[in-house]
Amino acid sequence: MKAMLQKIRKEAASVLASGEADLVLGWGKGPLWWQSYPAFIEEEKETGSLTWDPFCVPNLSKYLLEELWVKQKVALFLKGCDALGFNQLLQDKRVDREKVLIFGIPCSGLIDPQKVERAGLHQGLHSVEHQGGELVFSYKDDQKKEDPSSFYYDKCLTCRHPNPVVFDMMLGDAVAVNPQERFAAVGELEKQDVSERYRYWERQFSRCIRCFACRNVCPACSCRECIFDLTDPRWLGKANVLSENQFYHITRAFHMAGRCVDCGECARVCPVDIPLTSLNRKLIKDLNELYGEYDAGVEPEKEPPLITFNPGDPAAFLES
Amino acid sequence: MRRIGVFVCWCGTNIGATVDLETVMEKARQMPGVVFAGDNKYMCSEIGQTLIRDTIVQERLDRVVVASCSPRMHELTFRKTAAAAGLNPYLVEIANIREHCSWVHKDKAEATQKAISLVRTAVAKAARNKPLQADQFAVTHRALVIGAGIAGIQAALDIGETGFEVDLVERTPSIGGRMAQLDKTFPTLDCSACILTPKMVDVAVHPKINLYTYSEIEAVEGYVGNFEVTLRQKARSIDKEKCTGCGICYEKCPSKVDGEFEEGMSKRKAIYVPFPQAVPNVPVIDRENCRWFTKEKCGVCKKVCPADAVDFEQSDQLIKQKYGAIVVATGFDLVDLDEFGEFGYGKHPDIITSMEFERLVNASGPTGGKLLRPSNQEPPRNVVFIHCVGSRDKSRGKPYCSKICCMYTAKHAILLKEKYPKSQAYVFYIDVRTAGKEFEEFHRRAVEEYGAAYLRGIVGKVFPSGDKLLVNGVDTLSNQTVELEADLVVLATAITPRRDAAALGRMLGIGTDGHNYFVEAHPKLRPVESHTAGIFLAGTCQGPRDIPETVAQAGGAAAKAIALLSKETLLSDPCVSNVNESLCTGCLACLPVCPYKAISEKTITEKVHGQERRRLVAEINNALCQGCGACSTACRPGAMNLLGFTNEQLLAEVDAICL
Repeated sequence: MKAMLQKIRKEAASVLASGEADLVLGWGKGPLWWQSYPAFIEEEKETGSLTWDPFCVPNLSKYLLEELWVKQKVALFLKGCDALGFNQLLQDKRVDREKVLIFGIPCSGLIDPQKVERAGLHQGLHSVEHQGGELVFSYKDDQKKEDPSSFYYDKCLTCRHPNPVVFDMMLGDAVAVNPQERFAAVGELEKQDVSERYRYWERQFSRCIRCFACRNVCPACSCRECIFDLTDPRWLGKANVLSENQFYHITRAFHMAGRCVDCGECARVCPVDIPLTSLNRKLIKDLNELYGEYDAGVEPEKEPPLITFNPGDPAAFLES
Repeated sequence: MRRIGVFVCWCGTNIGATVDLETVMEKARQMPGVVFAGDNKYMCSEIGQTLIRDTIVQERLDRVVVASCSPRMHELTFRKTAAAAGLNPYLVEIANIREHCSWVHKDKAEATQKAISLVRTAVAKAARNKPLQADQFAVTHRALVIGAGIAGIQAALDIGETGFEVDLVERTPSIGGRMAQLDKTFPTLDCSACILTPKMVDVAVHPKINLYTYSEIEAVEGYVGNFEVTLRQKARSIDKEKCTGCGICYEKCPSKVDGEFEEGMSKRKAIYVPFPQAVPNVPVIDRENCRWFTKEKCGVCKKVCPADAVDFEQSDQLIKQKYGAIVVATGFDLVDLDEFGEFGYGKHPDIITSMEFERLVNASGPTGGKLLRPSNQEPPRNVVFIHCVGSRDKSRGKPYCSKICCMYTAKHAILLKEKYPKSQAYVFYIDVRTAGKEFEEFHRRAVEEYGAAYLRGIVGKVFPSGDKLLVNGVDTLSNQTVELEADLVVLATAITPRRDAAALGRMLGIGTDGHNYFVEAHPKLRPVESHTAGIFLAGTCQGPRDIPETVAQAGGAAAKAIALLSKETLLSDPCVSNVNESLCTGCLACLPVCPYKAISEKTITEKVHGQERRRLVAEINNALCQGCGACSTACRPGAMNLLGFTNEQLLAEVDAICL
């Protein structure tokens, strides 16, 4: 952990000093133990404020959308899941690869502060860090060591690409890939009959407060102006009713079809815990079954299934 | 506020009997923007159209809604009506209260409610309709005919006769198609080749017809009036200019393969002319079977050719050409008989298809016109003909009737008797269908004068027994099983479109039905047009038909093509896609989904906070865009809008129909 932090600071300082990049996107530490925020570093001397700890979860790639207009070259740090999102931006032609310098960070999983809290370990907590396979919780006067596996984000447990698939320089050695089955929850939902499933999603979507956090964090949501914000025509009504919530989520899921990199950020940031991962994974699973395996974000040059046509594509609606 | 007029059509009793149109008008008058609602027994009649024209002027209407039949029927009619009264034609909206309502409902109260919803929806859209202007574009005065059977030949001759250039493309080495393979033709028994070959020669010498044999369509781009087609002219390996057609090359060629023209019943050489009357009379080297190309040995043809016309170095030529109109006449194949094991086709040489029978009785065929059993070259005595092999068979074959089999089997029975007066024809049939001029008389002659025995029933099994074939069947009229000893069994095999018809359809952008027949634009009123403007259909590629029907349809397709080619310019449909550049993110997901290659990328420059920013956006070529809307569904930010069907208009419709 410490070694990685040193590398991050060293590389950031080096590219700013050499002029290779005029902005570094990394993470900085907030006042509380779980607060690791995106940091925008333009001066070599500020690189000491960069951090790397188990809470550096935000994907920095979407900041490129604005920063690349004003900067010559931006250096940024990408974890495995972040790199998939970056590739999606690349496929959507929203970033110019030439203007980006990527430092890849192999990631063995990040820690969910809510799980720490639920375990009652948060009182007086100063910091958390990985140390030789254990998670060390530091308090004012003492330390507690725990097995990290029960504290990882849910999305980290099913992570299939902990090692970045795109980078200019990799910081550190590749970590082991050992994901849990990601379609397990989808499989459970598929067992329910249609009305049960409908009621299930009704319950989920009825909680939505339409804060749009899921959209804002999503690396596949990079429109200049989102259709849900448009007033002419007004696709999405303002009324706080279930039908509009459903319209929002279902439409967004379709916009994600064949493009969702399954980084899990939407579900992570949802303040009302809507299991958006299941919704997106259902589409991933269906597309895989219909049009063959496709892993969005892994090979951005490969044409996604929904914008390609093969004469052999299934067309049940024509054949019935 | 809009001034919308609603015009409700009774369509006689088609709509009026099922929908309470007084209530529809009453409700329409209360809809936002509606200032007039009126009706007529037939709105498409002169009186109905006058009502619309006069009302537009008197009520100063700025939008018109016609509640009537499908827009595919009369949208154009009412657009012209509105235009005659000075209103932009694209401000007319049709509410389909016939096909979508009165024809599919019985309950008057419910149908009336639905009709009101449909009118409300059309009013909501009409209110948001914008005037659109059609562009003019020039027409290329040249036609392409794909397939040089009798359909393609006739279409090419008819178009060429009017003075337009025609390119006639044929996949095989010679023109002529299926008709060249046939012996006699029903119901007149004139020789097929004798009536076809003069037309083949006409094509060959016609100053306006350019023949591309041994050629295939490689790619099709463009649109009505300006198709851009790439032809692949396969290497013939013979210099057409030098070849004198002497035939020494194929006499000396040592490689023999099954001849396609003879349905595999005799051998041809690797260098060959498919049949004696072939046009052009220039051989072709089948490189897959030629020793020079497979083993780099031999070269006999080159050595013996007195004109030095053999050219092993020839390569495929890609030819790009622009056309105003295309006639598709690709013809038919026979259904695959693997599924029909009970008839034993392929297991015994004396079980043959009707097409093979045609070659066996043909003077230029493998037996020189002597009808002989393929197994032992003996004359047959008893011949069993089986109708509907693969036709009218939902489970294994084709559900449709192949239409020509009843008649050609009667012809076969007659030809058999003429060749061998002591022979006997047995015909198993389901129904005998003889709807055609002099068809029934012809069939009766086969029965009464030529003694063909017709057995209504089905054949369960055909199997060899000694040097004969045993045919087990059921005569369903007497309800008795029948066992016949036959020397020859002829299967009236179902016809299908060419196996690769669907692929050609995709290239051309024309639809195929469930059996891969090309689909006409309207089954009654536009039978020779495809759904794609400028592409016309002729012959069996569109459905089973006989020679006179094929010739008539080819003439019809040619007339349509000529009408198009005679125009200097065409009006484009202004309902094309439109990019809102401020919303476009430049992801270009629209580009691969466009079937017309109408979308390209461009870089725009804009000023943001004093800074110049250059970014990618999509751009539409209005001439290429056909308004299919695929791009607008692929566009996540809603930057793609189909004019005439904008997102705003469609959402207004959805809102209105949900009220």
